[in-house]
Amino acid sequence: MTPDLTVKIGKLTLRNPVMPASGCFGYGEEYAVFYSLEQLGAIVVKGTTAKPWTGNPPVRLAETPAGMLNAIGLQNPGAEAAREKIRQLQQYNTPVIVNVAGHSPKEYLQVIRILDEEPAVSAYELNISCPNVRDGGLAFGTDPQVVNTLVQAVRQATEKTLIVKLSPNVTDIVAIARAAEDAGADALSLINTLLGMAIDSETRRPLLANLTGGLSGPAIKPVALRMVWQVSEAVHIPVIGMGGITCAADAVEFLLAGATAVAIGSAHFINPTVCPEVVQGIAAYLTRHGFRAVREIIGLAKKAAGGEGEKDAGKDHCRS
Amino acid sequence: MMPKKQEMMLLRQEQVGEDIFRLTLQGEVAALPGQFVQVGVAPALDPYLLRPFSVHDCSPDTLTLLYRIAGRGTLLLSRRQPGEMLTVTGPLGRGFPAGKADRAVVVAGGMGAAPLLYLLRFLRAAGKDVAFFYGARTAAGLVLQDSYRSLADEYTAATEDGSAGKKGLVTQFVHPALSGKKADLYACGPLPMLRAVAALAKEAGADCYLSLEARMACGVGACLGCVIRGADGGWRRVCTDGPVFRAEEVFGR
Repeated sequence: MTPDLTVKIGKLTLRNPVMPASGCFGYGEEYAVFYSLEQLGAIVVKGTTAKPWTGNPPVRLAETPAGMLNAIGLQNPGAEAAREKIRQLQQYNTPVIVNVAGHSPKEYLQVIRILDEEPAVSAYELNISCPNVRDGGLAFGTDPQVVNTLVQAVRQATEKTLIVKLSPNVTDIVAIARAAEDAGADALSLINTLLGMAIDSETRRPLLANLTGGLSGPAIKPVALRMVWQVSEAVHIPVIGMGGITCAADAVEFLLAGATAVAIGSAHFINPTVCPEVVQGIAAYLTRHGFRAVREIIGLAKKAAGGEGEKDAGKDHCRS
Repeated sequence: MMPKKQEMMLLRQEQVGEDIFRLTLQGEVAALPGQFVQVGVAPALDPYLLRPFSVHDCSPDTLTLLYRIAGRGTLLLSRRQPGEMLTVTGPLGRGFPAGKADRAVVVAGGMGAAPLLYLLRFLRAAGKDVAFFYGARTAAGLVLQDSYRSLADEYTAATEDGSAGKKGLVTQFVHPALSGKKADLYACGPLPMLRAVAALAKEAGADCYLSLEARMACGVGACLGCVIRGADGGWRRVCTDGPVFRAEEVFGR
């Protein structure tokens, strides 16, 4: 019997818990040549702003051990042009989640205003965590009070499912998560990239023109997993886990840590068909272990860890 | 041709120059000249990213790449043995067009020669009269000269130090080839060379196609990591808007 892969995120029912991470999947068309996007749980499109953004100058990429740095800077054609691209995705009969970014609360709300009447848009993912833009992105994601105010304003502007994407570049991600939940978020997604940098020792220059960039890839998976564990424990809304997933086993780890769904980011760059492969791999895992539904394994590692482990997880790694 | 991901068996790994290798894989990629493939250099997550390589040659049952060891990724690739499987995604990007003129002038700079062998074969098959110019810093940078020579009606080699062929920058010797019949220009090599070729084309009123390279992640146009500034000030993705561009798109009219 095929296991039941459906999960719920806000008002959405996803046919499976696997989606691309924003920024790694363009507006979907780039990967539609490799497989039908109907195989995805949801389609998550690029960070979209009210007006077009030109992004950062090159060099925008640097490879690092088991990962990469990017400093794209949210280059995107703006919400009006994005709407046309998003309409093309309706043919896949799959929820489309639009990642929303801006320099100010007003700009976030402008994007919502432009897209809210559009039936092709199923949900928003509020990007308060991009490390690559000044005056925006990450600036909105590091203070619980600022997060609360922004999420409340967006919540009042839309009935659609509202996901808030959290940054790992904070002292206490749980406080940010609770602020977003209290303000009316339907779900949280985490983690965005970790702020990092790389220097070429031969030329003695930073590799990225922007100097710093966002670190992604397998190198960040343990950090992401720990944060998903902590946040899913602290809030009552679903968590979409991401950070370094390259295969089904990685995705299962996030589900076991408490994520209701997972997103796959830079792994697209090394394997364009990673998402459908992970969907199949999760189904095979469930069958192999006798689970009838993916929902049965969400947070299961916490039960295995028991009371003590649950309370202490992520707080005191040094003691042991 | 739609790109696809496939496992390809390594047939031959030949060292053809100092740190320069020719890799032959079994299978069909159905590329056009100037297109590229993304290759997993090692079956591991470090190095993480795939490596983009232009198609040096291809047939219905083989794909050939020409590469130089330039870092850890290509070093690991050079150690892969016959019989091993490599993951290859392609064909990717826009290749060279056939061009309108009956004559083709093709200019290679160093490893920029890699995509041009397949182009020469393609131009020859299209019945063009082909002049090939092959430049490098030293004689060691000119590899597989016999292969290139056999596919060109006129062949000129040049090195900056004069250790092989004519002495000087290869672009110094191209002008006479453009003075007769109308020709299309094709080039791949370092940026200063491409700029010089674009200037020659402008002067001769010739159509000119340049193959560029950039650090890439996705290779399919999604990540926007490989952009260059176009002559109009807007970004161009090297992976999907190129890697072959019309010269005026990069350097202006």
